[in-house]
Amino acid sequence: MKTKLNGWLAMAASVALAALSSVAHAQEKKTVAYLAPSLDISYWQWVGFGVKQKAQELGMDYVEFTSENSPAKQMDNARTAVTKGVDAIVIGPVSSTSTPPLLAYLKSQNIPIAFAGIGPQPGQTDYTSSVTANNYETGKAQGSFVCALAKERGGNKVGMLSLPQDRENAQKYLKGAQEAFAADGCKLAQMLETRGLTVNEAVTQANDMLTAHPDIKAIYGMYDEAGTGAAKVLETRGLTGKIGIAVADGSPTTIGLLKAKAIQGIFFQEAVGQGIDGTQQVFNALTKAPVKKDLALVMPLVTADKIDSPEAKAVIARVFPPSK
Amino acid sequence: MTKTIIDQAGTGVETRPAIRTRESLLSTYRTELAIAGAIGLLVLAVGTQVPQALSWGNFANITQAGAPLIIMSLGVLLVVITGGIDLSVGSVFSLTGMVTAQAMAAGFGGVSAALVGLGVGLVFGSINGFLVTIAGLAPFVVTLITFAVAGSLAFIVTNGRSMPIGDPDFWLLNSGSMIPGMPNYILFCIVLLVAIELFLKKMVAGRWFYAVGSSAAAAHLLGIPVKRTQFFAYVASSLLASFSGLLTISYILNAESTAGSSLMLQAIAAVVIGGASLLGGTGTAVGAVLGALMITVIQNGVNLIGINSFWQGSVTGLAILIAVLIDRFSKSRRGAV
Amino acid sequence: MTEKHNIVSVRSLTKAYGATSVLKGIDFSVARGEIHALLGGNGAGKSTLIRIITGTATKDGGELDFRDASGNLLSETDGRHKVAVVHQELALLPHLTVAENIALPHFRKGSRLYDRRLATRQAHDALSMIDRDFAAVALNRLIGDLSLHEGQMVEIARALSSGAELILLDEPTANLTAIETERLFDVLRRLTRDNGLSVVFVSHRMKEIRQIANVCSIIRDGRTVVKSVPTADLTDFAIIEHMGQAHALAAPRVTKVAAQQAMAGEPLTIAEDGFTVVLQPGTILGIAGAPAGPQTLIAALVGAAHAKRWTVTRSGWPGRFRSPREAARAGAGFVTGDRAHRGILHSLPIIDNVVASRRVTRGSFFANKHEGVECFDLMQALKVKAGSLWHLPNTLSGGTQQKLLLARWLNLPSRLLVLEEPTRGVDIGTKREIYQLIRDMAATGTAIVWWSTENAELLEVCDRVLAFDTEGRSSGVIERDQLSEDRLAALTGMAA
Repeated sequence: MKTKLNGWLAMAASVALAALSSVAHAQEKKTVAYLAPSLDISYWQWVGFGVKQKAQELGMDYVEFTSENSPAKQMDNARTAVTKGVDAIVIGPVSSTSTPPLLAYLKSQNIPIAFAGIGPQPGQTDYTSSVTANNYETGKAQGSFVCALAKERGGNKVGMLSLPQDRENAQKYLKGAQEAFAADGCKLAQMLETRGLTVNEAVTQANDMLTAHPDIKAIYGMYDEAGTGAAKVLETRGLTGKIGIAVADGSPTTIGLLKAKAIQGIFFQEAVGQGIDGTQQVFNALTKAPVKKDLALVMPLVTADKIDSPEAKAVIARVFPPSK
Repeated sequence: MTKTIIDQAGTGVETRPAIRTRESLLSTYRTELAIAGAIGLLVLAVGTQVPQALSWGNFANITQAGAPLIIMSLGVLLVVITGGIDLSVGSVFSLTGMVTAQAMAAGFGGVSAALVGLGVGLVFGSINGFLVTIAGLAPFVVTLITFAVAGSLAFIVTNGRSMPIGDPDFWLLNSGSMIPGMPNYILFCIVLLVAIELFLKKMVAGRWFYAVGSSAAAAHLLGIPVKRTQFFAYVASSLLASFSGLLTISYILNAESTAGSSLMLQAIAAVVIGGASLLGGTGTAVGAVLGALMITVIQNGVNLIGINSFWQGSVTGLAILIAVLIDRFSKSRRGAV
Repeated sequence: MTEKHNIVSVRSLTKAYGATSVLKGIDFSVARGEIHALLGGNGAGKSTLIRIITGTATKDGGELDFRDASGNLLSETDGRHKVAVVHQELALLPHLTVAENIALPHFRKGSRLYDRRLATRQAHDALSMIDRDFAAVALNRLIGDLSLHEGQMVEIARALSSGAELILLDEPTANLTAIETERLFDVLRRLTRDNGLSVVFVSHRMKEIRQIANVCSIIRDGRTVVKSVPTADLTDFAIIEHMGQAHALAAPRVTKVAAQQAMAGEPLTIAEDGFTVVLQPGTILGIAGAPAGPQTLIAALVGAAHAKRWTVTRSGWPGRFRSPREAARAGAGFVTGDRAHRGILHSLPIIDNVVASRRVTRGSFFANKHEGVECFDLMQALKVKAGSLWHLPNTLSGGTQQKLLLARWLNLPSRLLVLEEPTRGVDIGTKREIYQLIRDMAATGTAIVWWSTENAELLEVCDRVLAFDTEGRSSGVIERDQLSEDRLAALTGMAA
């Protein structure tokens, strides 16, 4: 019985080894590795889609790792990738603060690395390129837009469904938005932070927020599920359109809501685009072409009336992969 | 050595107090009453800060937000009473939503897609039940495995994408009113609460749940069908988690892979707040429902007052502590430590 | 002897659980170097008194003093370090070895590292005081692999080894064979004589009390009725009278049914390759001997695990029950000897505990009102004192809990009832009641199988006795006219 089991184990192990070595053998082409912080969140899948798409275009092989939100796993992944012989890395880091040891290691291995979505820790210089959204400027733009929505609806109170404020991008969004509110004469009545990033949670939060502050006239959603949840609550309460919603990121669901006029504007985070741009930069580094070190993309706004324009379609192509 | 003999009179006649043969509802539901009181106080306390907390609309918010947790907690309760634990409910909840949404996208109607979704609960409940009873593995390990597997399948179904609900009438499951004036989610909660409480109290098969949780060895020697009872508990738990997942997607008309990830710990907390012991053998459906309501009311209060939501966990922890202390106190007063 | 030599003394001690007053003013003291029998019926308050002395329960009123050898008052904490208790139900850690369990108290202060060799040596020293042969082989075995009586020996060794000056033994002999009991008594006598150890000994076995205790105290209904009287000064009858159980002695001894007059009905046949015992309805078959053999037979009779050796034949029965459920439904009831772990359902109210067997055998669907009435009648028949059928069993004394287990099979049309030590831990009065109850059940045509380690009990109640030798093999059946202590000793290989 036991020997039989051992036999199976040995067989499984050899199959796994064979699979691994076949990957290692395809070495003639250059390989780019994409290190995602986690693949639970579709955003990081979309960045990966961009990396993969661009890699194919440039004739590179593509491999993917997930760090499961652990800096240690991220470091392990980088080492594994280097050991397997990848030529360049595009990374969505677990956090900015997790990057210095990683950069030191990759510098020692002479591997170009591009950041997508989240940048390196400030002060670090040993990287090829950092392609991020300009959260502060976007926050400012979205703040103004939301404030205008409130004023169109005869008020100046706004509510915010925020990402957890321990995130750097959330802090920047908030800072930009607060400045815009102050400048444009709006008041942030309440901000609730998400924990689970689910629509269900956003629904509960939006419901509670509107119960506590019935005079809110526009809602700033910092992530897709926030917009979806808020739109759901307004629909239930018969307030669709009477309270404005703007959301950041963009997904098929929120685009659908935008088309249905359940929300008024989306600030698109160009996930696919960041993958594409990051891959282009590391490819440039490998081929000794010029690289752009810091690419801070201001997130483009698409409003309900413009959703079918060719410009909007071009933007959306850089947000998420076309559905099959 | 001093030799003392005290009280020589031995009467040999004992006075016996009459034995109560009827269950006293007041003493049976003593813990539950205390928790209901605590919930009332909590609502009033929030109301002093935010008057709208006491509005009818907020009552609707709380019940709607709490319904899935209530139903899931009832399932977890059944397993906990038998002395087991079900960590897979959150994952089954998410997977049910994804599978149902995908089935609709593949052309199934709302009803048949929902049945496919409930199939997820049936399958995972059976796997849990089989591995615990026939294979004899520890419930914690078994449901940790199915938690992981169902959780990953929830991503695999749509490759991690969230899915809109295809059937335009699907919202009726949650928000329709089979009884005029009462939305279905409240109806489901009440029907399931009453059915499960009566099952546990009045049916022999329900009493077996407590016997198995109290001591599986003693129950086995008594001739109680221990394995059948455990198996049924896991199937019921998964099915209720599945149903709770259906209600949620029917409400928000959107299925997400991570929808249930925070619910598992909340459901276990709800059951514990409701007076069940994780060692098995105790707990009531009324208690579990009140526990789930308490957690929902805390979340609602935290949001209404605008406390940083990171405090929710700490407040919930405190609530569990208080509830467990209440339970312990009320039991020691009964002389039943 | 003056007060200052008492290692522990209590005065006017009171304690109530809820509305129930358990101790109503207890005076009790233990002098250095004495073996002190603490006597009282079930529910008299013995266990509560012990719990208060050891600190697992708090007193409501009265005084509790601990003193050192020179008579100085000690703090309660220091005093309790000098007291060790051997519990009625084993309190050992099943996943640790014998050595680890015995040495554990030495590592109570967590800062000390666990020293395997030291632990083994201490364990060996302690266990050898009881049984050198056992000590030589047992140290590295897991507690979970030991039999009940071996576990109890380990527990006594642990108490001895912890350096306590007062050891409280709560029915320590309940699981021990005659030889083991004698060995324990020798150890206790030696330790009290040479080391000045004090022992409080709780038992319901009059013979043992006379053998071992030089002083006794008797409590009844939460009050002291006899305080520190030399055992020799009291007759058996006086002791029983003080316990308030004279009526038990006045009751007529139970009469046995002669095998020839056995009830009409089909007999049962119990067989083990080549060895057959026919069990007539209405008769009581005693089982004697060390646990190994009886346990195998009992497992077969009730469908518990791993019962390959024995077959049980009766028309309509399968020869071997696959589960206790199958056995119960065919009319074979079982009262386990391990009341705490495999008997009582602790978190269920009294009523569920009692009617569970009825629900199984009847296959009932609903838990209905009639059950309350039925349970009430059973409680009346068994003279059980309980405030409500919905209280938990742990509000009852050990002896009363034992009655609950018996109540499960009372008034059911059982073909066979298997009893494991049904009078373990019950007082003399309750014992008589149980004898009578089981006789009454036999009189309705139920065949009874009764395993006991107390030979006097087998002699008193059984029509025939099936004996097992120390290897666990059946060594013969003694018919009632030949039943004697000597015959039992010869066939079981154990001293009388």
